[in-house]
Amino acid sequence: MTILGEFALWISLPVAAWGMILGYAGGRTQRGDLVLSAERSIYAVFGLLAVASAGVSAAFLGDRFEYWYVASYSNADLELFYKITGLWAGQRGSLLFWALLLAFFSTVCVFTNRHKHREFMPYVAGVLQTVILFFIVVLLFADVNPFERLDFVPADGQGLNPQLQTYWMTIHPPTLYLGFTSFTVPFAFAVAALLAGRLDARWIQLTRRWILTSWLFLAVGIVFGMRWAYEELGWGGYWFWDPVENASLLPFLTATAFLHSIQIQENRGMLKVWNMSLVLLTFLLTIFATFLTRSGLIESVHSFAQELRIAYIFLSFMGAVLAACVVLILYRLPQLRSENQIESFVSRESAFLFNNLLLLGAAFSVMWGTLFPLITEGFTGQQISVGPPFFEKVNFPIGLTLLALVGIGPVIAWRRATKRNLQKNFATPVVVGLVTAAMLWLLGARHGLALVTWSISAFVLAIIATEFWKGTRARARIEGEGYALAFFHLISRNRRRWGGYIVHVGFVTMCIGFAGAAYNTDSRFNVQPGDVVEVTSPFGHTYQLTYEGLSISVGRGQRNLIWQAIATVSVSQDGQPKGVLTTEKRQYTNRDTQPMTEVGIRSIVHEDLYLILSGLNDTNGALNNRTGAQGIDLQVLIKPLIIWIWLGCLMITIGTVIALWPNVDRRRTVTGTGPEPAEPALAGAD
Amino acid sequence: MKKNGRFMVGLVGVAAVVTYLIWTGVSETMVYYLTPVELMERVEADPSFHDVGVKVGGMVIPGSYSRMEGELLHVFTVRDLVDEETTFTVEFRDALPDTFTDETEVVLEGRLRSDGVFEATTLLTKCGSRFEAAPEDLAGTAG
Repeated sequence: MTILGEFALWISLPVAAWGMILGYAGGRTQRGDLVLSAERSIYAVFGLLAVASAGVSAAFLGDRFEYWYVASYSNADLELFYKITGLWAGQRGSLLFWALLLAFFSTVCVFTNRHKHREFMPYVAGVLQTVILFFIVVLLFADVNPFERLDFVPADGQGLNPQLQTYWMTIHPPTLYLGFTSFTVPFAFAVAALLAGRLDARWIQLTRRWILTSWLFLAVGIVFGMRWAYEELGWGGYWFWDPVENASLLPFLTATAFLHSIQIQENRGMLKVWNMSLVLLTFLLTIFATFLTRSGLIESVHSFAQELRIAYIFLSFMGAVLAACVVLILYRLPQLRSENQIESFVSRESAFLFNNLLLLGAAFSVMWGTLFPLITEGFTGQQISVGPPFFEKVNFPIGLTLLALVGIGPVIAWRRATKRNLQKNFATPVVVGLVTAAMLWLLGARHGLALVTWSISAFVLAIIATEFWKGTRARARIEGEGYALAFFHLISRNRRRWGGYIVHVGFVTMCIGFAGAAYNTDSRFNVQPGDVVEVTSPFGHTYQLTYEGLSISVGRGQRNLIWQAIATVSVSQDGQPKGVLTTEKRQYTNRDTQPMTEVGIRSIVHEDLYLILSGLNDTNGALNNRTGAQGIDLQVLIKPLIIWIWLGCLMITIGTVIALWPNVDRRRTVTGTGPEPAEPALAGAD
Repeated sequence: MKKNGRFMVGLVGVAAVVTYLIWTGVSETMVYYLTPVELMERVEADPSFHDVGVKVGGMVIPGSYSRMEGELLHVFTVRDLVDEETTFTVEFRDALPDTFTDETEVVLEGRLRSDGVFEATTLLTKCGSRFEAAPEDLAGTAG
């Protein structure tokens, strides 16, 4: 099976090359037979890459340690689940997995459009095959072939890093890859539009669902990564501005900008060059993110290797794509002229443009900070790096402005907002924001940044709530429906708009959670069994933690585990017993001499109680169950509002899915809440 | 056209603010990334460099690790990756990451005090080697 997989990978090379050439040639000559062949080559490449991936999986399942990749990421004792997910555990497999996912999306795209949009499809097939071909070339010629054999057969493999042996880590990379790869489809349509000269908003309408899907996978993938870091890395944080985290954030930021700016093109026929540039930029950043994650260019917690050849191949490809697209855009420049002009500084177009500019500014700063060590080394021979404080200093103000725009953008009128429109929409929310600030101040919140974040959040939520309220009430009156039904119909009749609002509420919810970090507390204790420690949270809860003792299991539990020391802590909150939490040290067989930490987390709406077993006073004594050797270092963190982050992500998912759902009723597409005919019915709302 | 002009001013304004934030952000938070040899040279040339925050990558010397009894203070010695003669003592007051052993490569942030002890505020272990296996190590196990 594995040999077959290797063979399939080699065959896919000429097939992808064939499909690429025929796609472009077919588009140029409009010859149906060429186009058909190009499209079929995509199905074929998908099949071949599936066989290749199955080959890698077979090698994992069969413990074929003569393969470098299997020997590096598996061992005989590894659980079956992690052998299956071994395909994306390391650089080589994940590059193949990337190609496989891309081929899958390409197949879906070509298949669903096989009778439609013939002006685009030949070029789309050509572009998709180009990108697939690139990844096949990387796999075969950049020293990252997952089928590479060692010149000896090791008795056992290295095993998988225990930190990667968690549920989140198995779903985090695939989710991100789904986001990265599916963005290739909108990119392919954009290039096809340029090549075919169809430069209206058609390519955008055709790929709106792809864009949203890709965006959702990126968002969820990033949050899964945060969740993994929070639960597994054992220091209580979820974001460290690590180069690889940043790399996944970059395409997300530009994709978010793109998602907003295409609405201006659809509604007002403006920003055509801008949108082309954004789709190109986002695509390049997905490639860049893959490259950064899997090449170890910049030192990072999860970089994988330090190979140079792969760096050159990636950079040349990105350079070539960039050059080709810039030439194409320049060539089509006369047809990309804006159909309208911005009429007013205070208008929705302008709000969206500022949103774009801020998102790009954030992306630029993140990129700058990430590459800063490389840049300084290139110019001065001296690596100078910037840490989390840099990213926070730059991105907090940008983030807060964006947060405010989330409220302002969707309700400000297109073209030109009147004074009345502004007063009507913003007077109450501004008051809500200010009252929130005052109340939080009175309740004792003194942290400036958190206070500002929460007030702006209240302002935005007030705007969105008013929108939902006005819409529901108008509908209830006009259609004579009950409020619940009216609310449901309101959303289902214009899913795109109201789904978008729900996504915005999710984003605000996440920001509320992020600001909670201002009130993190951190206390450390050295405790013996029976000791009680008390921690007071910023919300005024008092936790009494009783250290019950250490339980040791040697050579039991999960395979690969030598010993496990579990500290049990009884938690009582404000005098009420709330059960027990455990935090552990685990010693795995493979290559670590230092044990891993498993944390204990208890989440409530206000805050997370986060227990870390930082160390055992006497590890040997504890393992031999010696009396008096049960003392531990216990670190107790209180992390306010963490749950809001995960909740916000859930809302974003729900909102996006609603927006993705096909619109049944196209008659009622409302484009704004400015002075519209429906206004009299809404007038009582403020 | 006048409206457009005002608009451009707004855009340029945003761009300027972002640039300003990046500029000040870099100058306030930048950290030199040095090897122990470079750090020693710098400090020798300019004693005020003792107060500058730096990031240093080095190798923990096996067996040099000890922990102060009863408090959260870790002490160990780090050497240059290339020049094994250049070493300094490190004091670190925080929980060590799981990945720390007394033979790992570490990246420390902090400053070299004038008494020659490096006071580390953050400690990262170089994880490249941890996440990336090297099966060549298995050569002896061929069976």
